[in-house]
Amino acid sequence: MTTEHNTQPVIEAANLDLTFQTNDGPVHALKDVNLTIDKGDFVSFIGPSGCGKTTFLRCIAALETPTGGTLSVNGMTPDEARRKRAYGYVFQAAGLYPWRTIAKNIKLPLEIMGYSKAEQDERVSKVLELVDLAGFGGKFPWQLSGGMQQRASIARALAFDADILLMDEPFGALDEIVRDHLNEQLLHLWDRTNKTIGFVTHSIPEAVYLSTKIVVMSPRPGRITDVIESPLPRERPLDIRDSKEFIEIAHRVRDGLRAGHSYDD
Amino acid sequence: MQDFAQEFMTALSLILSGDSELLNIVFLSLKVSLLAVFFGALVGMPLGAALAVGRFPGRRALIVLVNALMGLPPVVVGLCVYLMLSRSGPLGVLQLLYTPTAMIIAQFVLVTPIIAALTRQTVESLDAEYTEQLRSLGLSRLASVPVLLWDGRIALLTAFLAGFGRAIAEVGAVIIVGGNINHVTRVMTTTIALETSKGNLSLALALGVILIAIAIAVNAAVSLLARGAAPQRGELSHA
Ligand SMILES: Nc1ncnc2c1ncn2[C@@H]1O[C@H](COP(=O)(O)OP(=O)(O)O)[C@@H](O)[C@H]1O
Ligand SMILES: [Mg+2]
Repeated sequence: MTTEHNTQPVIEAANLDLTFQTNDGPVHALKDVNLTIDKGDFVSFIGPSGCGKTTFLRCIAALETPTGGTLSVNGMTPDEARRKRAYGYVFQAAGLYPWRTIAKNIKLPLEIMGYSKAEQDERVSKVLELVDLAGFGGKFPWQLSGGMQQRASIARALAFDADILLMDEPFGALDEIVRDHLNEQLLHLWDRTNKTIGFVTHSIPEAVYLSTKIVVMSPRPGRITDVIESPLPRERPLDIRDSKEFIEIAHRVRDGLRAGHSYDD
Repeated sequence: MQDFAQEFMTALSLILSGDSELLNIVFLSLKVSLLAVFFGALVGMPLGAALAVGRFPGRRALIVLVNALMGLPPVVVGLCVYLMLSRSGPLGVLQLLYTPTAMIIAQFVLVTPIIAALTRQTVESLDAEYTEQLRSLGLSRLASVPVLLWDGRIALLTAFLAGFGRAIAEVGAVIIVGGNINHVTRVMTTTIALETSKGNLSLALALGVILIAIAIAVNAAVSLLARGAAPQRGELSHA
């Protein structure tokens, strides 16, 4: 048996369902979702709000329990993977703690995982630099803008060595320039670390620029309508966005989103 | 008026000269209340944390009970502890009645619900903010408790101080189980009650001044800590 490093499935969902029972009746947040994510994939989830992007990410991270089908992570159940600290999760809201400074917020996972003081400091300054927040470690969250808080929360998920990085609309609140810059940084990080990344976004260009695999989703019931394997190379300068291939993929994503919409009404 | 001014001057000189009877009473008060709060925290904090993060049958009822016990009238607590410790009571053989230990027990009963209830509030509100983050970092419910306690440490200290403030100022429970015996079980509050009724106002006033100073110091500490606990927003200021 050979271990092919780049094609080993990290996440496998088969016939996955999640139905929430609410007072207004059942909500089908995910229905018959099938998806394989390989080691080192950068997977974007795109679709209108309510199509189950957050729910799917939460299922992977064992924050939500599916009501049907199977889901495995590194060959384990999501909860086993969670207990083995497989995940760095960037929540949709920054979720920084107001009584901790930025540096202390980033240290929270490191404290929990028992890193030495020196290594904590080293990692904090490294990730602060990565998200362009060098020098802000001593500030409290409320002293930073919303975008800076979001970057700090990304830094927290990057500070420790989780194999799988799950990010729920991390750049949604940021302006274009900052977003471009963080997209580049994220690609570098992904390239260097070979992390597997699950990334929720509303932006078609962002999804195409970042991903090796683009998952287009549609609501009511939440489901996958298209999975696009990107032909773009791993190395991606920002101006790749003007290339013919890039524009073709963007079109296909847009068509997929439109098709999903026509099921409504 | 003349009399009052005179009594007050005598009181001040008692304090400033470090009168030994006065000091003994103050030290006994501090010892009894601090020990009561220490043991109260030992029981109340884990209980509060368990009520905050635990999921077991009867939890809701227990929370209501603990909250209700926060307002226990000290004389009733004194009476109950008296009945337990009196010669014919279930714990009579221990011969604790009219000792400082009996007073510590009574104040322990008074402050434990306060500390438990405040701890529960603190840990519960922290848990709401931390639970998913900690879960995603691989922690179990149980393993997240120390993190919550540590990040809530300042609010927990205010819970401790709130218990201490209640204990040191309380008179009804300690007078019943302690008996207010000179040099044995006489604390600040019970001495004030006794000396005032005897007309010895200067000693009562001196103790009153010290008691107020302690109360102010405790409250100042609580508000300072509460400010440090949650800069700007004040989620944790139960004080
Ligand atoms: N805890 C929950 N209880 C009930 N319904 C939920 C819950 N979480 C999500 N939903 C519903 O599931 C659907 C998918 O939600 P979500 O995954 O948040 O969508 P997205 O992230 O794509 O906007 C929505 O209709 C949402 O209202
Ligand atoms: Mg969402």
